Parts: sequence; structure tokens; C-alpha cells
Amino acid sequence: MIQCKTSKEIGGMGHSVKRKEDDRFVQGKGKYIDDINLPGMLFMDIKRSPYAYAKITNIDKDSAMAVEGVLAVVTGKDLEQYNLHWMPTLMSDTQMVLPVDTVMHQSQEVAAIIATSREAARDGREALQVDYDVMKPVVDPFKALDDDAPLLRPDKEGQKDNQAWHWEVGDREATEKAFSEAEVVVKEKMHIPRIHVASIETCGCVADYDKVENHLTMHMTTQAPHAIRTVIALVAGHVGLTEEKVRVIAHDIGGGFGGKVPVFPGYVVAIAASFLIGKPVKWIEDRSDNLTNGFARDYHIEAEMAGTKDGKIQATRMKVLADHGYTDGAANPSKFPTGMFSIGTGSYDYPTAFMEADAIYTNKPPGGVAYRCSFRVTEAVHAIERITDRYALEVGKDPADVRFQNFIKKDQFPYQSPTGWEYDSGDYHAGLELALKTVEYDKLRAEQAEKRKKGELMGIGLSTFTEIVGAGPSKDFDILGIKMFDSAEIRVHPTGKAIARFGTKSQGQGHETTYAQIIAEELGIPSKDILIEEGDTDTAPYGLGTYASRSTPTAGAAAAIAARKLRDKAKKLAAYLLEVSEDDLEWEPGKWFVKGAPEKAKTIQELVFAAYTNHPQGMEAGFEATHYYDPPNLTFPSGAYICVVDIDPDTFEIKVRRFVAIDDAGHIINPMVAQGQVHGGLTQGLAPAMYEEIIYDEDGNALNGTLMDYLVPTAVESPSWETGHTVTPSPHHPIGAKGIGESPTVGAPPAIANAIVDALKPYGITHMDIPITPAKIFEKLKEMGVLDKDITAEA
Amino acid sequence: MEAKITKQFSIEEPIDKVWSVMSNPVEISECVPGASITEEIDDKNFKGEVTLKFGPVKAKYDGQITIMENDTSNYKLVLNGKGLDSKGKGSAEMTMTGVAKSTDAGTEVDFDMVVNIKGTLAQFGSRLINDVSAQLMNQFVDNFKKLLAGLEFDSELKAGSMMGSMVKGLFKKKDKSEA
Repeated sequence: MIQCKTSKEIGGMGHSVKRKEDDRFVQGKGKYIDDINLPGMLFMDIKRSPYAYAKITNIDKDSAMAVEGVLAVVTGKDLEQYNLHWMPTLMSDTQMVLPVDTVMHQSQEVAAIIATSREAARDGREALQVDYDVMKPVVDPFKALDDDAPLLRPDKEGQKDNQAWHWEVGDREATEKAFSEAEVVVKEKMHIPRIHVASIETCGCVADYDKVENHLTMHMTTQAPHAIRTVIALVAGHVGLTEEKVRVIAHDIGGGFGGKVPVFPGYVVAIAASFLIGKPVKWIEDRSDNLTNGFARDYHIEAEMAGTKDGKIQATRMKVLADHGYTDGAANPSKFPTGMFSIGTGSYDYPTAFMEADAIYTNKPPGGVAYRCSFRVTEAVHAIERITDRYALEVGKDPADVRFQNFIKKDQFPYQSPTGWEYDSGDYHAGLELALKTVEYDKLRAEQAEKRKKGELMGIGLSTFTEIVGAGPSKDFDILGIKMFDSAEIRVHPTGKAIARFGTKSQGQGHETTYAQIIAEELGIPSKDILIEEGDTDTAPYGLGTYASRSTPTAGAAAAIAARKLRDKAKKLAAYLLEVSEDDLEWEPGKWFVKGAPEKAKTIQELVFAAYTNHPQGMEAGFEATHYYDPPNLTFPSGAYICVVDIDPDTFEIKVRRFVAIDDAGHIINPMVAQGQVHGGLTQGLAPAMYEEIIYDEDGNALNGTLMDYLVPTAVESPSWETGHTVTPSPHHPIGAKGIGESPTVGAPPAIANAIVDALKPYGITHMDIPITPAKIFEKLKEMGVLDKDITAEA
Repeated sequence: MEAKITKQFSIEEPIDKVWSVMSNPVEISECVPGASITEEIDDKNFKGEVTLKFGPVKAKYDGQITIMENDTSNYKLVLNGKGLDSKGKGSAEMTMTGVAKSTDAGTEVDFDMVVNIKGTLAQFGSRLINDVSAQLMNQFVDNFKKLLAGLEFDSELKAGSMMGSMVKGLFKKKDKSEA
């Protein structure tokens, strides 16, 4: 049960306060990037490559310039003059802004067309003639290291093959020993395919350079405005755009999911164009451009588990081939090329693990963005949860029993994982018990046994995952050298109403509501009286932005601590006004009162007013506080998810009958917002499990580059989600919260995959790669030669 | 993105008559829906254009047709057509092999066609390529038969009927052996 410390009027933590931002969103009054229209604004469109790997032999600028309204065509050769044709990625790799001679993936930006209208820019894009010499691309990452594979990145000094990097963690020797001595070893090869974040709003910007002031205002769709400002200053400082001359504004964002963290060439070309022309330049990516550029995931994982024959896990081993496209375009913390993949030892207590990864260059778009997950946690959780089920199958135990047998116990926290993490807190037994009870697990297993006798396909899948979010402690976490703290600044006006600004940036998460609730909880000012502002680098304090479920763990903590600083100041004011010692005062949400004499009290509003009108000599006037929060550890949300599927034995159509999600995100700020996050996240977990995958043919064509072919699930495909929670607060977080936004996206795919594989158990199937579709099941059964098998005999 | 289509049919005409049409690049090109030869470079190489329509996307390819093999003794013809989309959206390549065999009833002809498409059309048309190519082949064979019979035929691409028959194909009940 969620206990509220504040009244409904104050609306602090635990209250299902309605989302403030929805007033404008539901009325169509949100201000998105395409709503920005400036006087004299020009429009940019981008010509893209039809080929995955080709030499550009000629770009006939005149063909586009002949279109009425087209003012300029910008190519890589133009940018080369300013040394702007290449740019660094966040992973210290390099990426072309526009190519000078070679295109490296289909849909790569080739040239930008600047025109007086969007239509003219698009016509110019259509008219622009580009000639290519087409080359045979490297599409399959497993063939990228073959001797006859072309060297894709000869531009990189010392690069001799198509391997980008190698990474490993854990104890290789101890793991090998554990595996060689184990009674049971299971292994599966898994592919976590490329998918799109497919947010409703695509990427875009309006670059507005003022020649007179030598000042750039960059309106853009970014999840990390401050980091972008610093990057622009670092890249363009030499032409006078130093950091005080750059203002980045992220307005309302229609979904980010990690896809709006990287710096895309479109942004850079728009800035260059505005800088050279001296007028605002708008660039709005269209849907197909968005779908065929950038991606998430694409990990080929070999997962292994060793254990005893009675179900005790002893060791795990994972080997990853990471297809990064032509450059490492991920946006991980610098020291973590595989992000937080090393959380893949899971929720289980065993001493030994080893993981390694090799990143490979191919002729595909750059990416590896963390699609609604804290950097590769989805991949890691899928691998450990699938291989745990595989192990349960091998030892002949119920997957729930194997999990109970191996869970890290409540009293073992803080728990040191074999890959070096310190899990802060958890109660995995409680979560799974609640999930089993909610779904009535025993009844379902009995029903399944009956159905199997009749040849009906029903499956039950579990996923009991541990996440790792809230990056991160400055000791280890930075992006391009900037430490991953985050910030809050609270300014309370004389009349007791407040504005608070943050270094993060909501893309729909509901920060305007939930941050206000954190401050209300700590300071007693009603959350409705607190305006939350983010996204403008001229006004907001510096921070690294919103992704990886980091807003509550970092900026949320900063808000609580800044509010506490103000509460302390209020206490001093109360002692002065009530003429008592500070030690005699006691706090209740909204007021300081004298111990034992509750009628002698000053409300927070009275105290704030005094800070401007009647503050004691020697005290600084005003009522403001700022805090930059450097988390001492990450937070480790967890969950126990159970999925029930029915599969049509003739068509193999998969129906998710039930899905129970029990999350433990520590203290919950707003149960309604949290539930909304879980619903959205579960749907985005259903998506890769059953529908989404970017498919490439051997020529590197993306075969499903429109929403007609790339199925994003809607309410039609989604089951009725059943949600619940347990509460195990984070011991190190000021308000005990852990972050909720990504748990469902991470936890759902293996629960669904496990349910489908469980349903197909009578056929002898032990693993299927996601997305699992009816066609894939049919092909797999055909390949195994069991399509006509009498499965009732197995029951 | 590649599609392979094969088609076999019989014609009640002597092989030499069939072969005389088959081995004539200008005449056979006219049978390809949407295609036409615009220039003869030499007796093996021609310039031409092909218009293809895949669902919502229409592409016009300017290209070159090469006769790779014209083997009268074995009645075998191999044609290769390569083209670039005139709007720079990508490229297409097609290799068609035709073999004629004399039979009691006349002539049996085997055509196989390998179509490879790169670029935007591949992105948009991946679900359609097999159906469109099969339709293309059917229409080609119809035209070829009509040409031999001295009948009028329409070398325009019949995109409308193509979509219609594809939709019908989608809803056609498949028998078990196909499934």
C-alpha cells in the first residue's frame, strides 16, 4: 500500500495527481518542434542514399537548383571546407555529417537542400541527381570479419578489419572452470533484432543564427539540451559559437525513447546552413527517414548457464556480437561500450560469470541507442531470463521454482554481483509471490496440462528481472567527459508559489507533475502551485538530460535535496518569527510548529513571505535553492512479470491472454503516472517480442521502411495489462525512489517469449528469436520436421 | 531484394517461328509490360526504359539491355537489363532466360526471370515484389503469345489489373499442399 504523508491539498508523493501537462496536450496546444515558425525561416530537406554502400561519382547541384524556391544545395564537399564533414559520436567514434565520396548505408544523408518552402525543399530533393558506383555491402555481421570483406572504415587510423572494439567483464577462468565441472550446461543463441524507437514525433530542429549578435538559438528535439549546447560549442567554438552564444531549447517532445539523444547530421547541417545564410532554417525529418535511420539493439548473443541437476545456478557466460552499423552511434556513458549489459547476471545469487562483446561495422545505419532502457539492459535481461527458463526446462523444474531457489534474498542486499555491481535493495521473493497469486499460477498450470492432452497450445512465461538505472555516480559515469549528475533549482516567489527548473527534459514522462509532487512532499507547498520548467539551457541548471530512467534517480533526488535546503531555511525563519529555538520546532508538511504547542505555527507560505519582507538581520533574503545531485550508486528496480498465451494450433496466431506486471520501483511518486508508464512500456515490450524488426536484405535495403510494413502495436494488438507493485525503497536515494519508466520495456519481451516457447514445448522447441510471429513458428516447426507431430502424446 | 519467377507454356506454333520472335530484342522487349527500346547501340546492346509500379510507388528506369546469349542451335536466349531510376531512387536489374523446345504439339517455352531491386522501391515494395514480378511475367507471356498469333496487344503496364489480381490472390484459399 502506498502511504501518503501529505494531504490531498498539498499533493505530495503517493497522490494520483492529474498530469498538469495534459491540459495542453489534450487540447492540441502542445508546442512541438514543427510548431516553431520564425520570420524569414527557410526549410531544409535531405537527399538520402538509395544504396547501402556506394561511391558518389557526381552530385549535379544544378538539377535541384533549377527547382523554383531552392536556394542552396549543401554537400559533404561544401562542409569539408569548414572541416565539418565528419563529427564525433558520443561513443568517441566518428560519423559523417555529409559524405564526401562514399555512402555507408541506405538512407544515409547525401546532400541538404535549402529552400523557401518545405514543398520546394522536397521537390529539390526529388530533382537532385546523384550518380553512384554501387558496391557490394557488408550486411551480415558474421561475415564482416571474413578475409574477403571490404574494410569499411579505412578513414580510421590503424583500422585493419571491421571490428570496432572488444569488451569483457567477469572472471573468464573461474567461469570456464565452473562450466567444465557443472552437472548441467545449457546454451542458446539469440538475436535481439534492430528496431526503431518509432516515436510519434520524428526528429527536427529550427536553427536560428543571428549574425548581428553572433548568437545561435537551436530549437530542437533533444533529450539532453545541455549536453548538446556543450557539444555545439566544442565543435563550433572556432567559428565564434562559444558556449554563452549558444542557446538550446527543447520544447514539448512527442516521445524520445533514446532516439533523441544522439546528434544527427540533420541538426548539424541546419546549424551550418543558418550560420552561412543568416536566416532560421527548419528541418523536420519525415516518417520514412526516421524509420530508416538510427536504430536500437541488434545484439547476437550466445547465452550459457551452468548449474546443478537439482536447479541451483552456478555460473553464466555470454558472448555478444554487436552490429553497430557503420559507426558506433550509441549514447552510452563513455566507459561502458556495452552500456549496462553486465546486469545480465540477473536476479539470481551465484558467484561466477563472464561476458564479452565484439562490436562490428556493417553497411547499416549507425545506432545502438538505448530504446527505452538503461543502455543494453533489454538485451541483457532477455538473455538471462530466456536462459534461466531453458535451464529450468533442462532440469525438469517449474521456472517459478527455479527462480525462487536462486533469487538473491532480501537480507543479502546490498548485493555484490559477479560483474561488479552493488544491487541497492530488492525483495524478489515478494514480487514473484504476488505475481503468482495475482495470476493464479497453479490453476493455470493445471489448465495447461489439460489443454496439452487435447493438443491445444497454451503457454505461461515468467520474467523476474533486475534493472540498473539512474546513471550515474561521477566516479564511473560521464558522457564526453561530463559527469552524469543532474540538477534542480527551486525559486519560491513571495506569495508562496514556485518555479523549479531542471537539467532533465520530459518527452512525455510527466515531469511537470511528478517533480512538483517531490517538492510538495518536502516543502509542503501544494504541487499545483509549483511550475516546472525544463529544456531551455539559458534558464535551466546544467544537467545531462532524460533517458535511462535517470530523471527520478538523479534530478528527482536533486529536487528533494534542494527542497530540504529550503525547509531548513524556513525553519530558521520560523524560529525567528515564533521567537523560539530551532530545536523546539517540529515539521509537518506545510508548516513548522512549536513542539507541544501546535497552535504556535507558521505555514510555509508565511515563512516564504517573511524571506522577502521580514527576514532576520544576517540572513540572505529570498527563497531559492539549487542542488546538483551526484548519486552514490545506481538504483536497481525489479519486477516479476507473468504472461499467458494461447496459440492457434492451425494458424499459430498468438494471443496474449493475460499479462501481470508486478513492479518494484521503490517509493512511488504518482501511482497514476507510474501506471501509465508501465502500460506504455509493456506495449513497447510487446512490440519487439511479437511484431517489430527492421529487416535488411543482402543488398542492405531496409525492407520495411514505412509504417505499412513495420508494425507498431496499438491498442488493437495490446492485451489488457494487469499491473501491481511491491515497494522496496532504494536505501541511498533521498526519497527512496528507483525509476519506473523502462522496467516494463525491459521485462516484458522475455516474459512473452518464455510463454510462447512454453506453449510450443510439446514440439520440442527450446528457443525462438523475437519477434515471434505465426510465420516464424510455422517455419521453425517445418524445419524441425515436427509440423505434423501428434503433440497430445507428449502430455 | 530479389525475386525469381519461372514460367513454362506451350504454343501450337513451330519452333522456328517462336524462336524468330524470341531472339529479336526489339520484338521481345515490346512484350515486356512498361518497357520499350529507345536506341540500338549495336546488335547486342540497346538503350531502353522500363516503368514499374509497386503499390504506391512508381519508378521509371533508364537503362541498358544486353543480349548475353543468343544461341540459335539450342534456342536459348539470355537477356540482361539494368537500369537506374530516373529520379535517383535506386536501381533495378533483371536477367531473363528463355529456352524453346520443339514438341509434338508445337513448341514449349521456359522463361525464368530474376529481378533484383535496390533503393527506395525495395523499401516500399518488399511485400509486393513477388506478386508484381509474377504478374509481370504473366502479362509478358500473354503479350508474347498474342504477338506470335499476330494479334494486337497492349504493352502498357496494367497496374490497375495487377493490383486487383494481387488482392484476389491474397484472399484465395490455399490448399493444404501449398501451406
